[in-house]
Amino acid sequence: MSDDLKAKVLDGFRQKSMGDKKMFYIREVVRWFPDEDRQAIQTVVKELLDDEVLRYWSSGSSTYLMLAEFFPKE
Amino acid sequence: MAKRETPLLDQLERGKWPSFVKDMKEAAEKNPMAEDLLGQLELSYKDKIGHWKHGGIVGVKGYGSGVIGRYSDRPDLFPNVQAFHTMRVNHPTGWFYKTDALRRLCDVWDKHGSGLTNMHGSTGDAILLGTTTDHIQPCFDDLTEAGYDLGGSGSALRTPSACVGPGRCEWACVDSLDICYDITMTYQDKMHRPMFPYKFKIKVSGCPNDCVASIARADFAVIGTWKGDIRIDQGEVEAYAASGLDIQKEVCDLCPTKCMEWDGKRLKIDNGDCTRCMHCINLMSKALRQGGERGATILIGGKAPILQGALLSWVIVPFMKLEPPYEELKDLILRIQDWWDEYGKSRERLGELIKRLGMRVFLRAVGLPAVPQMVKAPRTNPYVFFWPEDIKKEVK
Repeated sequence: MSDDLKAKVLDGFRQKSMGDKKMFYIREVVRWFPDEDRQAIQTVVKELLDDEVLRYWSSGSSTYLMLAEFFPKE
Repeated sequence: MAKRETPLLDQLERGKWPSFVKDMKEAAEKNPMAEDLLGQLELSYKDKIGHWKHGGIVGVKGYGSGVIGRYSDRPDLFPNVQAFHTMRVNHPTGWFYKTDALRRLCDVWDKHGSGLTNMHGSTGDAILLGTTTDHIQPCFDDLTEAGYDLGGSGSALRTPSACVGPGRCEWACVDSLDICYDITMTYQDKMHRPMFPYKFKIKVSGCPNDCVASIARADFAVIGTWKGDIRIDQGEVEAYAASGLDIQKEVCDLCPTKCMEWDGKRLKIDNGDCTRCMHCINLMSKALRQGGERGATILIGGKAPILQGALLSWVIVPFMKLEPPYEELKDLILRIQDWWDEYGKSRERLGELIKRLGMRVFLRAVGLPAVPQMVKAPRTNPYVFFWPEDIKKEVK
């Protein structure tokens, strides 16, 4: 179940990142899957962060999530 | 002496108070980052705009907060501050350091950063100002070795902070240090792995003097208080009067609820009207002591003006006994965070969410009973909105 959801969330990131927008709030990610449990989504997002497929991006006050491949290079 | 000409910054050194410019100039003598920082700051004053680009890299392995990315938008002029990241280090509760602990922290920062610090930031953390991307992980490793950890930043639980509490203060009604430490250790994941809609701050004050200003700054404020009458030593009151204190003018007349009377010999307090402002106790600490039963008032929703205006906290639990392991407190924190996490919009603080949906919705969601102390402005606006079904139950 967790692997299915993980794949689904990752697919969600890929779909939504096709446009110009690459960074998303966790609230937006949760809203992509209205039928799924919010905490389950947060858990798989953390797993994807551990796998370094996703990365955090922060302005200092707010934190966003993005696919690692789109993380800005210095 | 610093090599650059900084006429605008130099003006800041001429005031009455110690200037950060002087410290930066001292640091610039041994660190090129501090030298370029002076130059960039001078340019900011000249151009009347900041020359920083915020955001980006946010942490070390396994962490999503604690590092705030910062880059110069004029790396051509100031190459040594091209990357000038901030590291937030979780401060010891109550800001008690041993000198060797401070030396260890500074040694790590001299090795990996600009040597400049902000002790402490308004979040409470020890703020280490200015390091490069390649030094972030090694710096964290050395900090860990020295017994430190990163604090919170971004959409996470921010580093909880507390006043010095019973460590130094006779007025502490709760062990603010222990509560803060317990909360910090319990919610490590919420601090290091941001998953909230926005920032969430918990601050603990030992008494209503509220030395960490939790009422104005914290989403969840714990403020020590007491039950029972203020204890009066009339002999000491008379001694204060004899020493020249004008008790009528300086104590009774300044009481916000006018609950005190002084007839020149005896002081009387109408304790039912006392709002725990602490003014009388602060002024006559030998004569007045807080009531015997100690605990804390829990308030929510304080914030500074960023997206919306400033909010002062709102009482939700007038009195809670606080003893280890603080299960009642932690259970309440979890219920509140869960509700905010579910319904809060991105970048919406808890106080703003309650304002948007209403206090009665919040109370029902977290399972708290409505009590008179929750009326936010009882002397100016005593109205409370009840659920229609509750009104039907009462009006028969």
